Amino acid sequence: MKLNKTLIIFILIWSLLPLGWQLYTSFSTPEALTQPFIFSPNRWTFENYLQILNSNPPFWKYLLNSLIVGLLSTAITLIIAVPASYSLSKSNNRFSKLSKLFLAGSAMFPYVILFLSLLEVARKFNLGNNLLAICIPYSALSMPLAILLLTAAFKDIPKDLEEASVLEGLTLFQRLRWILLPLIKPSIASTAILVFLFSWNEYPIALTWISKSELLTLPVAMARLAGSSVYEVPYGAYAAATVIGSIPLLMIVLIFQRQIVSGLTQGAVKG
Amino acid sequence: MNYLLLIPATLLLLLVFGFPLIRYFWLSLHASSVLTGLEPIYNNGANWIRLISDGRFWQDLYQTSRFAVFSVGIEMILALVIALLLNNEWKSKQIYRSITLLPWALPTTIMALSWRWIFNTPYGPIDQILNLIGFNNLNILSNPSLAWVGTVIADVWKTTPFIALILLAGLQTIPVDLYEAFRLEGGSPKQSFLYITLPLLKPYLLLGLIFRLAQAFGVFDLIQVMTGGGPASSTESLAIYSYLNAMRFLDFGYSSTIMLASFMILIFVCLSAYIVTITITNNFRRYKL
Amino acid sequence: MSKYRLYLLISTISIAIFGARMVNGRDIKLTTINILMPAPFADSTSKSIERFNNTHKGNIKIKVTKGPRETESVSDLAISNLLLGNSTYDIILMDVTWLPKYASAGWLMPLDSWFVRKDLKELAPGARLGNRFKNKLYRWPLVADMGLLYWRKDLMSSPPKTPYELIKLTEKLISQGKVKYGYVWQGRQYEGLSCVFLELIEGFGGKWLSKTNEVGLNNKEAKEVASWLRDLIERGITPASVTNFSEPEALQAFKSGEAALMRNWPYAYAELQKEDSNVKNKIGITTMISKKGGETTSTLGSWGFVVLKTSKHPDKAIKVIKFLTSETSQRDLFISYGYTPTKASLYKDKNLLETSPILPELARALEATKPRPETPFYAQLSDILQRELSSILTGQNNVEDAMNNAHSKTVKILRSSGAYR
Repeated sequence: MKLNKTLIIFILIWSLLPLGWQLYTSFSTPEALTQPFIFSPNRWTFENYLQILNSNPPFWKYLLNSLIVGLLSTAITLIIAVPASYSLSKSNNRFSKLSKLFLAGSAMFPYVILFLSLLEVARKFNLGNNLLAICIPYSALSMPLAILLLTAAFKDIPKDLEEASVLEGLTLFQRLRWILLPLIKPSIASTAILVFLFSWNEYPIALTWISKSELLTLPVAMARLAGSSVYEVPYGAYAAATVIGSIPLLMIVLIFQRQIVSGLTQGAVKG
Repeated sequence: MNYLLLIPATLLLLLVFGFPLIRYFWLSLHASSVLTGLEPIYNNGANWIRLISDGRFWQDLYQTSRFAVFSVGIEMILALVIALLLNNEWKSKQIYRSITLLPWALPTTIMALSWRWIFNTPYGPIDQILNLIGFNNLNILSNPSLAWVGTVIADVWKTTPFIALILLAGLQTIPVDLYEAFRLEGGSPKQSFLYITLPLLKPYLLLGLIFRLAQAFGVFDLIQVMTGGGPASSTESLAIYSYLNAMRFLDFGYSSTIMLASFMILIFVCLSAYIVTITITNNFRRYKL
Repeated sequence: MSKYRLYLLISTISIAIFGARMVNGRDIKLTTINILMPAPFADSTSKSIERFNNTHKGNIKIKVTKGPRETESVSDLAISNLLLGNSTYDIILMDVTWLPKYASAGWLMPLDSWFVRKDLKELAPGARLGNRFKNKLYRWPLVADMGLLYWRKDLMSSPPKTPYELIKLTEKLISQGKVKYGYVWQGRQYEGLSCVFLELIEGFGGKWLSKTNEVGLNNKEAKEVASWLRDLIERGITPASVTNFSEPEALQAFKSGEAALMRNWPYAYAELQKEDSNVKNKIGITTMISKKGGETTSTLGSWGFVVLKTSKHPDKAIKVIKFLTSETSQRDLFISYGYTPTKASLYKDKNLLETSPILPELARALEATKPRPETPFYAQLSDILQRELSSILTGQNNVEDAMNNAHSKTVKILRSSGAYR
């Protein structure tokens, strides 16, 4: 048992160390950066944060862009996935098994392979540099997982419950709205969080669909920041950026930890 | 009526997953580059002929596989250990979960940037420590024979918690009575791991393995930000190469060919990983009540 | 009461809108010209740009987008803009090897009507190269750059002119114990190796790629170049570690006095004249060795401005370009940053000649410059060549096979991308 505890503590440190190092770096002066293990009284500074917050476009703009894209993609995904999952949960075995297989395959698919063709779509229909348009591929890419999770949730609802409401004369929409959706609320919540995380973090599609700096989402802005300095070691500013960029996710993970875990494990158990 | 509800989702999925593959197949048979004004012109399979003799493609395939095998292998083992540890009743499970989830939830580009800094020579902590123990100027990320190790470490760091969670979910489906009964029959803990845990965990292990193999095979963000595929393309993955062909060389025809080829190889790899794992584990003895 | 308030509200809003339009109206006259530059150039030109913005207040304003440090990433950034069809830039500062790609993609505006014969004549001879594609002018050069052969004045009376002389001279110096190595260059698998190769294949009388897309990599001359480079390593004239050398490593070896000759770019001169250099005031500059049938060649590496087709203000963009490439700006850049000028007159400028004794040599080298193959696929062709040359230099493959490979792969690339139609 003691060994276990030590191991767990070791794992915790391992998980936090790189982030801790960024935090440490973000408060270091340029001189301190070159001698990371030497402690002098004036090695600390807020300069890096000021530099990031005063950049052009301001850093919070990227967070806002990611937020917009994340929320909208989540909404679109749910609006399309809920009816589809409902229908799938009602269909016969063979069809649902086959579609499950395809959905699982698509969910595992390394979607970076799709970027060129999606870029062609963006070119053809003039969807580039548009935060609303990029939600279409995002919703599509998160659709398989969403449908898998929601279908499993719908299947768990006892049949008599819906049959009773049919007898009461409720329409399909009413049944969904008042009976079924409230019952699968937890699954909807975890699906929503996972889709949001995906859209917030997505990189290759954003990289090809968005080129204007004021429209960049956080991941692309970070990557671009990494390559756009004259100096060899502007890591103080990078570190400050990674810390600021991590805070929203830190909050999300802390608040929605239960939903994320249940979403992931549901996906694994049922998918 | 029911099936009507499926239509929007099906259309969207076909547009984003189905259409590209067909389009790639078609484009891979055409020259579509700056010279043709990015308009496709049939070229007699010249892309495929070029692919077969393209040393960079084969090198990248090797490098991608190396990355996938090492990172997924290490991740699976570590994740299994972590999941077993966590399955014991343990007070601050919630906090632990949040903390291990963090690497997984952060954008890859942010953590890739962090790792680039950690591996920085000479100012990063790893280099400083290596210097203390006598490895001077190892230059991990700028050394063509070492840089890939750096990318594997970063990937292991990021993804292990995710697999651990999946395996943990699997462990929790195994009834405790089973272990109890086995112990009463005189089985040792080691045997119970072999005859109960592993066989019952098999579907989860498989899921984790296939999922991670597919993802690692398409590795892009991590490498692009951490090394950009360098030094001397020693960490370049297939995804990076096809990205370069499209966005830097403006050769959409060849880029499509690489992507289609990677896709086919990926299917082959995942199927064989599946079959191999199934056949090996079928020989496991399994304890039944 | 609410009626009055409503009126008040409406009038306030309309005044606000009207006022805003007035301000906007004044803004419309102010044209912003957006330039994308690699970060180092953005910094070095900042003073000139400030000066321009001050003298053109209310009329033209230059806005510089600081691109990434790594030059290829700058191009990536530009291309991701251009592919989506709505570029935010008017001007891009472009490397000489990118031009054919951008021009054939149809993204550049021909500049022939703005730069007339007189302007062209003002350019130094080598600076005139690499600005045209298919007989149209697309680029106006800001900085010239060319491959140079650095030699030690304290070790030899004149630099070697032929490959044979180079070997004989350096072997003698090594055997006399005067230097550890004879000749250092760039042998790592990267763009610098292609530049080394171009100078030699032209000097040996061969051709990497002809204007009609004929590949010359399996010819006698190309193989001679590869054998010669390999020979330098085998004879110990060049250290085996050259396969990891880019510019800084070669410079380091030469600066420490370990080598008698070095291939590098003009920037190296200032480095070699610094206090910590062991060869300060002992160096001369010339161009690469050559053989009968070939001619001494410097690889042209230069940066210049292009105007994008999507620019709404080409006239003003040209005005900006003319200002930034003017004699005054180039003089500043040469004095503060050592950027080689492109204007011919500056090479005869007395003040400049006083501050920099190598200017005449640079002018001579500029006359010997040749561009790398001017094809949209240059990046891929260079990659193939680097790989195969690297396999020869590291001894993984023999010259014959490797060069034949390089040849056939190059042909395959050109074929698959539609070059032979």
